[in-house]
Amino acid sequence: MQVFKAYFKVMRSSAASIAVNLGVFLGIAVLLSSMAPETAVMNFEPTRTPVAVINRDGNGQLAQGLVDYLGQTSRLVPYPDDPEKLQDALFFRNVEYIAIIPAGFSDAFMSGESCAVQKVIVPASTSSYYVDMSINKFLNTVRLHRKYSGEGSQAELVAAARADLAFDTPVAMKSFGTATGGERPGYAYYFAYSAYALLAMIITGVSSIMIAFNRPDLYLRNLCAPVPSRSTSLELAAGHGVFALGCWAILVLGSFVLHGKSLVASGLAGLYSLNTLAFAAVSACMGFLVGSFVKSGGSQAGAVNVVTLVMSFLGGVFVPQSVMNKSVLSVGRFLPTYWFIRANDAIGELTGFTADSLRPIYGSILIQLGFAVATFSVTLLLSKERRLSHL
Amino acid sequence: MFMHVFSYRLKCLLRDRETVFWTLIFTLLLATLYYFAFGHLTGEQERFDPVRTAVVDSPAYRGDVRFQQVLASLSEPGENQLLELTVADEQQAERMLENGSVAGMITVGESIGLVVKQSGIEQSILKAILDEYAHTTKTVVGILAKNAGAAQQLISELGDRKGYTEQISFSDAVPDTILGFFYALIAMACMYSGFWGLRNAIDVQADLSARGARRSVAPIHKLGVVLADAAAALAVSFAEVLILIAYLAFVLRINFGNQIGYVLLTCFVGCIAGVSFGGFIGTVVRGNEGVKTGILIGASMTMSFLAGLMWVGIKDIIARKAPVLSYINPAALISDAFYSLYIFDSHRRFFVNIGMLCLISAIMCAASFMRLRRERYASV
Repeated sequence: MQVFKAYFKVMRSSAASIAVNLGVFLGIAVLLSSMAPETAVMNFEPTRTPVAVINRDGNGQLAQGLVDYLGQTSRLVPYPDDPEKLQDALFFRNVEYIAIIPAGFSDAFMSGESCAVQKVIVPASTSSYYVDMSINKFLNTVRLHRKYSGEGSQAELVAAARADLAFDTPVAMKSFGTATGGERPGYAYYFAYSAYALLAMIITGVSSIMIAFNRPDLYLRNLCAPVPSRSTSLELAAGHGVFALGCWAILVLGSFVLHGKSLVASGLAGLYSLNTLAFAAVSACMGFLVGSFVKSGGSQAGAVNVVTLVMSFLGGVFVPQSVMNKSVLSVGRFLPTYWFIRANDAIGELTGFTADSLRPIYGSILIQLGFAVATFSVTLLLSKERRLSHL
Repeated sequence: MFMHVFSYRLKCLLRDRETVFWTLIFTLLLATLYYFAFGHLTGEQERFDPVRTAVVDSPAYRGDVRFQQVLASLSEPGENQLLELTVADEQQAERMLENGSVAGMITVGESIGLVVKQSGIEQSILKAILDEYAHTTKTVVGILAKNAGAAQQLISELGDRKGYTEQISFSDAVPDTILGFFYALIAMACMYSGFWGLRNAIDVQADLSARGARRSVAPIHKLGVVLADAAAALAVSFAEVLILIAYLAFVLRINFGNQIGYVLLTCFVGCIAGVSFGGFIGTVVRGNEGVKTGILIGASMTMSFLAGLMWVGIKDIIARKAPVLSYINPAALISDAFYSLYIFDSHRRFFVNIGMLCLISAIMCAASFMRLRRERYASV
């Protein structure tokens, strides 16, 4: 037990950087869970695109009618008539459509002259089409009324158009058994991001121990100590295992604290925990690999960051796999994070516990374990060669 | 003598592999990962594609010729195509809806309805199309009730719907939000120049390093040493940021606009701010090297975060809710300078950013100078 006890004494030296990783992750998780909607929306809600309307035709009732109608079909965000502020708003997508009603628009429209609402948009974007539809629908309806129904004043025309446009097509939501109405639940994000936290924490911890125990003089001293080297290795391995299990337990506990109710209700907690456990094993083996190559704290920090960031970005931890570039994803397949996220996504979309729907999840978990075994074996092979070079 | 100190300092800094890794290799790696993970996103995610839709093939649908015509004209290939239509029986349509190969399923019975799996913009467009069909019908019926004679003209005019919007632009720049990440990344690289400034500060103070002690007793004016060191740090960090900019512009094809001179000016001023920030931490903050490095990393990451490194929107939120913070955060000033160059036609905001950066750098240099000058040690 000598080595096992020493393990956790050494671990204290890297406790700070592990705690920073854990703290950052939990901070982000709390932030995200406070932003995610707690109850799933089961009714259809039309998208309300954020629009900035600059009405330079202040006196026109028609222009005002258009603004009111846009206020009903989209979300109006008040902005001053200042190009710099409007450009900022569009770049950061506080608004996705800027509609400028030019001065004299209402009168020009009423007299049948050609006139148009000026728009500043993200070119060819879906939301711009959507808002265009509202504007065109309103003005075309007013035009037909003006030409054919004999209504004269702008106010009458606006009222007639609004009456025509009041009808809503009935929309039914069909959820096909998913509990979330197609929305990705908060805990799915939690477990996806936990891949980054697990990697960073476990690799930092495991490699710190490895660096300490692989220092040449210490290593040689341990070789001639009256403790069989087999039991040294076994106790170290037990330490790695306990440490990885501890990190995993903290993250699973965190998921229950933040999303307990919905997670339990979904009945998926077991599968998520199993998947993260497999990934914890992968992380421990990655830590083993990193630890047997780096020798100092400085290069360890670099290696940990490179490994975790590359694996997280290319595996789809930060950006969902569904929106990632296909060719990047095909490279990502060679990383365990890809299979972790695949299993994670599949669990989130599970509609029933049938063998058919569970098979891909267990398959992805097994592939992760395969990665763990492969990483472990490669490290053993390489470190054996290097160990002999000490002597 | 200046050149002598400068050239040796340059060698000394360049041999610090670890700092070269963090200030150059790490930023290049992060740029590559950003590019692969979401470099393509704005274009692909926001671009309009015809909405994939299923319509249930029922007797009522087959009987409604006018509705069929409208759907057919909306799904005609071309610039104005709104729908990608599949006519299917109910079960097949439901299957398509379930596996996500269509966004919605149109049902025609006594009235026209829509079935969807979730709320979203594609589903909203579908609803808007169906709404419009119902609204137009209502308009026509209403008008004909008052003015039956207009029937012929009215029907012919329905096919000729006018577009009432005209696209204009404040400037030629496409508002691509993803650029914000890369501008914040350059800001981070500039702030990481602080590592060089910190090294300089440690290597010149006798109570912090053996090298500082040796240099303190060297027969050369301290100001000369400090200036030569600063010039070397600036040269290294500017070269590194130039490599990053070249990589972003020529390999990853990130758009910086076409004002190369101003882009380089921003990089240079950003590096000055970074180096003086490192020097400031190294001289003004008390404590050993570990503490100072920790503070430098923490501060530069916080500043980069507020400039939009992890979440682009935060920069704009700060600028609107707490504008003072964005004027005193060098990282936000650097990324806003790049943004202003890209998006605006005028240079007013750009020069405000550059001016603030110069001011902040001057204050930090002055503080470091006050701290360093006439420093005496009882025993070295």
